[in-house]
Amino acid sequence: MSLFRIFVNQLEEDDEDMSQATSKKVITREEWEKKLNAVKLRKEDMNTLVMNFLVTEGYVEAAEKFQRESGTKPEIDLATITDRMAVKKAVQNGNVEDAIEKVNDLNPEILDTNPELFFHLQQQRLIELIRQGRTEEALEFAQEELAPRGEENQAFLEELEKTVALLVFEDASTCPVKELLDISHRLKTASEVNAAILTSQSHEKDPKLPSLLKMLIWAQNQLDEKAVYPHINDLSTGQLEDPSV
Amino acid sequence: MSSSPSPANSANAGNGGQDLNLLHFLDKVRLAATGDAKEDEGEDSPTELNTINSAGGFLVVSPDKLSVKYTNMNLHGHDVGVVQANRPAPVKCLTYYFEIFVKDSGVKGQVAIGFTKESFKMRRQPGWEVNSCGYHGDDGFLYRGQGKGEPFGPKYTKDDTVGGGINYATQEFFFTKNGAIVGKIPKDIKGHLFPTVAVHSQNEEVLVNFGKKKFAFDITGYEVSERNKQQMAIEKISIPPNIGYGLVKTYLLHYGYEETLDAFNLATKTTVPPINIDQGNAIDEDDSSYALKQRKTLRQLVRNGEIDAAMVKLREWYPQTVQDDKSVVCFLLHCQHFIELVRVGKLEEGVKYGRLELAKFVGLTGFQDIIEDCFALLVYEKPEESPVGYFLEDSHKELVADAVNAAILSTNPNKRDVQKSCHLHSHLEKLLRQLTVCCLERRSLNGDQGETFRLHRILNNNSSRR
Repeated sequence: MSLFRIFVNQLEEDDEDMSQATSKKVITREEWEKKLNAVKLRKEDMNTLVMNFLVTEGYVEAAEKFQRESGTKPEIDLATITDRMAVKKAVQNGNVEDAIEKVNDLNPEILDTNPELFFHLQQQRLIELIRQGRTEEALEFAQEELAPRGEENQAFLEELEKTVALLVFEDASTCPVKELLDISHRLKTASEVNAAILTSQSHEKDPKLPSLLKMLIWAQNQLDEKAVYPHINDLSTGQLEDPSV
Repeated sequence: MSSSPSPANSANAGNGGQDLNLLHFLDKVRLAATGDAKEDEGEDSPTELNTINSAGGFLVVSPDKLSVKYTNMNLHGHDVGVVQANRPAPVKCLTYYFEIFVKDSGVKGQVAIGFTKESFKMRRQPGWEVNSCGYHGDDGFLYRGQGKGEPFGPKYTKDDTVGGGINYATQEFFFTKNGAIVGKIPKDIKGHLFPTVAVHSQNEEVLVNFGKKKFAFDITGYEVSERNKQQMAIEKISIPPNIGYGLVKTYLLHYGYEETLDAFNLATKTTVPPINIDQGNAIDEDDSSYALKQRKTLRQLVRNGEIDAAMVKLREWYPQTVQDDKSVVCFLLHCQHFIELVRVGKLEEGVKYGRLELAKFVGLTGFQDIIEDCFALLVYEKPEESPVGYFLEDSHKELVADAVNAAILSTNPNKRDVQKSCHLHSHLEKLLRQLTVCCLERRSLNGDQGETFRLHRILNNNSSRR
């Protein structure tokens, strides 16, 4: 190919690239801020979002105070939050028997309809017995309560075997499944029971706020395909940053 | 956090500058007056069949404009009895959907349902011409612009209910038969589309349902599951951990909800594991704890209806906010005082107060319309049920409290003028606004079709769908 031809081809390619780059709509900061200010956002809706956060996370006192200070009504009965938090706390502190009693007081159907949750609670109970060095009790408990569950379900059986393995090691820190003894496992179980209670009360187990933040990132990514405009890159400040043209 | 009021700073004593930032509170009052138009995008839906633009000679539309019958003899392909709806399908929503019920499949059962443009040749089946699509009952084929269609779904005939819909998110047409989806195809027709129905052999008769009656197909459930699909993709995105906590904290600080904030701080410290939300930079930069106690106190006074006490405190602590008796803050507070009198039925006292403090706003552009609506409260026996009842609602108290809050924030001598406009919105609000505009802009660049972000709808999603 002659040099001339190569040169012309390159120019044509560049032209195409140029039109690709400039085919995105460019929105200036000024225009963008005008659009931002034109949005009609109701204070009540933002308050509801915050209340939803407080309630789902279980912060009863904060929810009560917020109701008083802003007039926002909590979406569920605050008394149920207190009950739910008591269950969560019991598990976090390792008082699983107490937690199970409380859950059944709250709503016996929760454990009836959630065999996996019930198994995990029983498993946690076993872990606590092992942690306290009550070996005989632990074995008895494993045989009576957990083994039957293990027979019904392969996954449960595997979990059970892992847990019992803890007993075999004198020094738990050398056991390959020692993470079961870690406090994070208690938290995991506590989270599970918290979610189950919320669901039984027809309430979503997660607050809506984090979803909205994800939606913002998603929306910006989507819009990036068609436009150049100021972004918010730091979610904690909401600071607007000029488009890098 | 200072407990004594800040000295009047000449930079922010000029009410002009301060008021500019507070004017939007007046707009919020006006917004409440219009009833918010929460979900309304200003589009009207089809309600009946269009008798004017229809293949007049070949069919007859019933008086209620909801059914059509073929009256001609079907002799060739250009005497289809086709009729469109009276309006095109709205586009600023997730889906549009309508149904037909085949009352009589006549001699040949050549019923069709589909979508066409305004310029459609009203003698042809939908789908037989470009820029149209139709699902035909005699062969179950889908036609979209070429003479011959493609196999699509089951045939349909007498006593079948068939639906046609548009999914604006996926840009697809979808069709249903007797409550179940039959199939979908990409929609490559741009612009407004009219729901279309056609009959083509003797005695064919079809009833149309534009939503007045319950549909056979669960369109609401379909919309929910479509939204869920998008939601699942969004949930996979990762965000910094515990960022929600920081945003709630700055929100509470911004609006002066001090007691809530204290309880919240305590709770987060005692959770297991404790949540550390003191992301130093974000909060200090904005100095959002400025005058926190004072703002809390003022908010309480306003919410309790103790407007006189509120004004006394403002004069004492932040005189520059109430210096100009015709400022936005003074206006809203005087109105609120008036409203509180009306609330307890002290109408005579209300009138007296109105004469004294509110009369000066009559005739002032920017205040006139609101003051007139406010005075109208006097006229009704049950003002809370009147069109101006929104003044008596809790949300209006919040609005006034928010305005006072903003006015106090603007007296912060530590804030550079440029940053002052930042006090208009809490971080959370900035994020929500950005989200809204991004969705709106994206929709507008996509042919302006589809749903956009509406906080209200997200909040009211029925959680029991899980």
